[in-house]
Amino acid sequence: MEIKTSKENSVLTARLIGRLDTPASQEIAPQMNALAEEADGTIVLDCTELNYISSSGLRLFLTLRKAAGAKGGKIIVKGISNDIRTVFMMTGFLNLFQIEE
Amino acid sequence: MKSHKLKEGASAIKDILRHSAGMGLLLVIVAALTLELTGLVQYYFSKKGIREEASRRAECQLEATRLQIVDIVDQAESAVRNSVWIARWCLENTDSLHAVARRIVEDNPVVVGSTVALVEGYDKKHPLLAPYACREDGNVIIKSLATEEYNYPAQEWFTRPIELDEGYWSEPYVDIGGGDILMTTYSMPVHDAAGRIAAVLTADISLDWLREVVGGAQIYPNAFGVVLSREGQLMVSPAESLNMRSSINDFSSQAEDRRAFDSLSRSMLSGRSGNMPFKAAGKKSQVYFAPVEKTGWSMSIVIPEDEIYSGIKNVGLLVTILQLIGVGLLILILYAVAKSQMKYREISDKKERMESELQIGRGIQMSMIPNIFPPFPERRDIDMSACLVPAKEVGGDLYDFYIRDEKLYFCIGDVSGKGVPASLVMAVTRSLFRTVSAHEKSPQRIVTAMNDSMSDMNESSMFVTFFCGILDLSTGHLRYCNAGHNPPFIFTDKIAKLDVVPNLPLGIASGMSFQEQETDLSYDDSLFLYTDGLTEAENLSHEQFGEARLEAILHVRRSAQGQMDAVREAVEVFVDGAPQSDDLTMLFIHYLNDKRPDSSERHLILHNDIQQIPQLADFVETIAQEKTLDQGLVMGLNLALEEAVTNVILYAYPKGSDGLVDVEAILGKNRIDFIISDSGTPFDPTAAAEPDLNAPVQDRPIGGLGIHLVKTIMDSVSYQRSDGKNILTMIKKI
Repeated sequence: MEIKTSKENSVLTARLIGRLDTPASQEIAPQMNALAEEADGTIVLDCTELNYISSSGLRLFLTLRKAAGAKGGKIIVKGISNDIRTVFMMTGFLNLFQIEE
Repeated sequence: MKSHKLKEGASAIKDILRHSAGMGLLLVIVAALTLELTGLVQYYFSKKGIREEASRRAECQLEATRLQIVDIVDQAESAVRNSVWIARWCLENTDSLHAVARRIVEDNPVVVGSTVALVEGYDKKHPLLAPYACREDGNVIIKSLATEEYNYPAQEWFTRPIELDEGYWSEPYVDIGGGDILMTTYSMPVHDAAGRIAAVLTADISLDWLREVVGGAQIYPNAFGVVLSREGQLMVSPAESLNMRSSINDFSSQAEDRRAFDSLSRSMLSGRSGNMPFKAAGKKSQVYFAPVEKTGWSMSIVIPEDEIYSGIKNVGLLVTILQLIGVGLLILILYAVAKSQMKYREISDKKERMESELQIGRGIQMSMIPNIFPPFPERRDIDMSACLVPAKEVGGDLYDFYIRDEKLYFCIGDVSGKGVPASLVMAVTRSLFRTVSAHEKSPQRIVTAMNDSMSDMNESSMFVTFFCGILDLSTGHLRYCNAGHNPPFIFTDKIAKLDVVPNLPLGIASGMSFQEQETDLSYDDSLFLYTDGLTEAENLSHEQFGEARLEAILHVRRSAQGQMDAVREAVEVFVDGAPQSDDLTMLFIHYLNDKRPDSSERHLILHNDIQQIPQLADFVETIAQEKTLDQGLVMGLNLALEEAVTNVILYAYPKGSDGLVDVEAILGKNRIDFIISDSGTPFDPTAAAEPDLNAPVQDRPIGGLGIHLVKTIMDSVSYQRSDGKNILTMIKKI
């Protein structure tokens, strides 16, 4: 599991690459928490290369979303696969995030 | 125990009796007091009325007598008054005065004697002159009162009118000459032309009639009249010897109550009218009195009180007797009521005893049938549930089941009738099933043997509809035999009625042959057996629950117990409080044998280390390859498995301790079962509350999503704690 962040025109983009299962979530938790520091702006979570997510991964998403909500920022989830979209739907996450293709 | 109970019952009855006796006594006292009070009030008012009546009667009598006296007195008075002018005229010739007296006597029958007595010295010729006319033998004769021994100028009748210079009624007196005649005299002064009093003109009247008039005033048997003169002289009274010889005042010293007597005599002598109580010769009496004008007499009627109230005395006696009879009747009625109450108490005691016996009977009956569910918690190949709800305390429905040699023997039955008789037959039927099936392997032979046995001893002609089945748990092969019972439902991929030959119910005739049938149950097939008390359960408008409603409920997939609960709840809602008319029995058998020939198993054992989670992905991948699953499903299975296993790894074992998670996958034709077990602390993840997916972001809890995903992805998730293990079974249809 890998996270690659880049900043362009004050938009922070984080590319999530690989499988976000429970151990992977524990692994990237510090990086995600670092992102939360900048949650006052727009953060794009690029999921184009994310091929699996479990509830522990979803939890990281939700924590970030809460931080953005508190700081007035915006989280955009981009390029999720149909399978992950299904998981988002099952957990009501589609309503929490701005989803982009 | 029994005698103790009897004693208890007896003392309870005694208590009731004592209690009701106390109540009865109180009632009698209250009733008697009420009656007595009514009597007293009635007595008081009656007495008052009677006293008023007596007083009215006495007053009437007094008035009538008075009128008679006044009439006579008036006659005498007017006779004298009318003759005064003649007498004056005759003064010129005093020798003619006797004619005046004679005329008065002749003209007035009430007048017995009359005289014109000259004032002494008025006439020089006759210093004393008083010619007296009176009757003798029917003729009027003239006598002279101017005798030395009589000395009329000293007589009261002569002196008083002159003193008063007006008409005067003398005190009554007894005439000396004319026998014992009571007399009184009215005298009037006669003035001469110069206005001097020259003579006194008189008229005597006899008062003998007064006795009659007063004596006739007997308005009560022992009432009597008394007439007093102006001076208090006794004129008329029942004591003849005292009349005209005694004054009322002579009796004052003898009176029992002197003050009352004096007050009475004072009232009478001062010319008042009224009434007063008076005690004479120990007898209480009422004295009614009134004055007679002109004469100054006082008239009275004395009535003994016991005579006034003699009527009410009898009435009072009658009322008292009636009251006594009333109280007596009341006591009788109370006695009867108490007796019937005792009887009622005995009956209800008996009823209570019977009810408690029935309750015990119910307990016994319920303990005869398997009633712990799930009945085989250690088995994964069978899930069962059953229930029996008798309409009365005890019922005639039955079910039974047990496993022998990997075969499930089960039955359901319905005894004709209800209540105690049916329950006894039920007990017999159930025992027979156990006895016969213990050494029989064919439902047909079980049913036949039971029928023969029951028909032989069936004297009460009660029969039993019965369904008996034997399910081979290892193969799913079902053999069954029906004896007049309604066909069960069978659930394969659809709901249908099991094909059954009706046959006759048990107990009709021995030697009957029953046809056996068979079928095969596949994995996840179910049987639902019931008695007609279910489909024929009626609501208040007598609609029946019916098979359609039943099918609609059973259509939803649930655990065996879930199905039982759902059906019972639906029936309860449907009947809506209508009384249950028939016993209601259900038996649900869910066949879950996972050792099918076409299934295979996969096993994975993990340590409680989160880093082992990625192994699940490989595990799911091998399954996916075998069953050729699509990518979405693979990810779903992986996700569900990861969530369930993560749960165990994170929470089942104490931190730092080593533990294992056993993951087993059973791959069926159309489904995959994951069984995740651990030996950690008991924890049922399915019991967690569902997260609110529509809550705004700040309210969304961080946790709780994992088990939600598991439930959403899988078709069925169930938890079981068994043998010190948490066992989570997740099923996904493919």
